[in-house]
Amino acid sequence: MNPDDDELSALIREHATRHAAPNTLRGSLRAQLALADVAHSAAPAAKPARRGAPWLVFGWRQAAAGFALGIACTLLAPVLWQHVGPGEPFEDRLVAEHVRALRSGPLFEVASSDRHTVKPWFQGRIDYAPPVHDFGADGFALLGARVERFDGQPLATLVYARDRHMIDLVIAPRDAAAAAPRALVRRGFNVLHWSDGAMAYWAVSDVERAELERFQRRWAREAAGR
Amino acid sequence: MSRSRAFETLVLPHLDSAYNLARWLLRNEHAADDAVQEASLRALRYVDSLRGDDARPWLLGIVRNTCFSMLQRSRQGLQTVEFDEAEFDAAMMVEAEPAHADPLLQLQRKRMRVQIDAAILALSPPLREVIVLRELEELEYAQIASIAGVPIGTVMSRLSRAREKLRAALTKTYSGPTP
Repeated sequence: MNPDDDELSALIREHATRHAAPNTLRGSLRAQLALADVAHSAAPAAKPARRGAPWLVFGWRQAAAGFALGIACTLLAPVLWQHVGPGEPFEDRLVAEHVRALRSGPLFEVASSDRHTVKPWFQGRIDYAPPVHDFGADGFALLGARVERFDGQPLATLVYARDRHMIDLVIAPRDAAAAAPRALVRRGFNVLHWSDGAMAYWAVSDVERAELERFQRRWAREAAGR
Repeated sequence: MSRSRAFETLVLPHLDSAYNLARWLLRNEHAADDAVQEASLRALRYVDSLRGDDARPWLLGIVRNTCFSMLQRSRQGLQTVEFDEAEFDAAMMVEAEPAHADPLLQLQRKRMRVQIDAAILALSPPLREVIVLRELEELEYAQIASIAGVPIGTVMSRLSRAREKLRAALTKTYSGPTP
């Protein structure tokens, strides 16, 4: 028995949609692998003999990250400049930075879930002291931090993992009245912006908006509790 | 093999196939994204289970299992969608905007795509699965059987049932709405 139907097959093959994997998926898979590698090397004492000398793995990753960063800078600088010129709204540039970090790294320049490691790391890199919290117990694990330049000003970016998603939290000093969270969507990414009087915050992620709001409430609770 | 290397050589070349299958099975791009991520990471964990076999059916098997357990978890996928006439008409209106050289031909092709996509989407997941694997991924019966975890005979009977339904659905749309 041959169940094939050539006419129908030809029709389907010619006309049905073939869904191509989006580039963001490739990017976030690479990010996942990087995260897994970081998690792996974060506990080298437990299984020391598994993947050869830890310094070798580390060296390789450093080299790869450096290389990737170099490539990214060279390739993306003109592209980013074109798409993310100075005239563009800040939120668009936030999302562009988030996508760039996912796609080509580095996701963070210091990898640590310990706020006492991350907070001092900012010293000398930026001219203010952003608050740093880890909410690993609530499903928002601090992975590390990096510094992003916006209009020449270096801003602190904390990186969190929510399940398989990444949340970037950009923090800027701001002496203004506190502002309630305001949500918007840019290129499919959710952006939540709020201010607590001392600092302004932008959380950027592809998680659902409700999740991002949960993250914001958790952050506000932490800030109020101190 | 390192994870990164396994990813570049075994998963990345088949990511479009993996996404296509997940997108058709789950009928939602975000869910498909999540499924492919989960399946790819799982595949890398069990990369040793691949012994010189073709990586594509192996990966598709993992994607397929991930999708079906997601469907089971959400308990929404096991029924087929009702054919939503308003939504279909809206899709046709959007698709109907002529874009290139021969607007009429373009229009016909787009209509055809909307109709065929809708007919495939209306199939139950097990039937949709065999159609996507056979017609869009162009796999052999034996490969489909191992991906779906059923005997070849079942693959063939599902395929003929799926085709019967597709023919019926397409004939209906061709002859236009009945008054």
